[in-house]
Amino acid sequence: MVARVGQKAPDFAAPAYYRGGFTNVKLSDYAGKWVMLCFYPGDFTFV
Amino acid sequence: MSAVAAQYDALEALGVEVFSVSVDSHFVHKMWNDNELSKMVDGGVPFHMLSDQAGNIGRAYGVYDDQQGIELRGRFIIDPDGVIQAMEVMTPPVGRKLAETVRQIQAFQHVRATGGAEATPAGWEPGKLTLKPGADLVGKVWEVWKPSME
Repeated sequence: MVARVGQKAPDFAAPAYYRGGFTNVKLSDYAGKWVMLCFYPGDFTFV
Repeated sequence: MSAVAAQYDALEALGVEVFSVSVDSHFVHKMWNDNELSKMVDGGVPFHMLSDQAGNIGRAYGVYDDQQGIELRGRFIIDPDGVIQAMEVMTPPVGRKLAETVRQIQAFQHVRATGGAEATPAGWEPGKLTLKPGADLVGKVWEVWKPSME
């Protein structure tokens, strides 16, 4: 399934860094909230 | 990502949960936060920085670049039902403008609050006129809205 507007967002789980610690994030745990998901090319890049 | 971090308050006020995603490990995210981003944003990055080392999340969202092994600048707005309402994908050298994302979220939240009874014309911002789609508005948008109102 590839993401499209008007369709359900693909669920995922991933390790994350958050405010000094490490945790796991699962998108479906955030049902009921607005979510902004931002991909970017990589840490320590210039823009 | 520092620009998003710096304007995080605006997103938090709208009740938006922010996740950044790249192919870097969460350990590298920590190093980037500690060594650079925390010098650009007071208190460091306030949102979750996700690691997608295998590129699986990026593939599911159509932003993984196999040739370079990186993720393109993809920004997705997901509503409380888990439905994608907006997406924007850019090549790496041009950065995003967060104010436009905030505006879009405000517009989607407004439409949702009206149960879809209202639509927001081009350039809509909170307080501006909305449209109420229906039979009476067909061919009559010009009477209530003009591009100069954007």
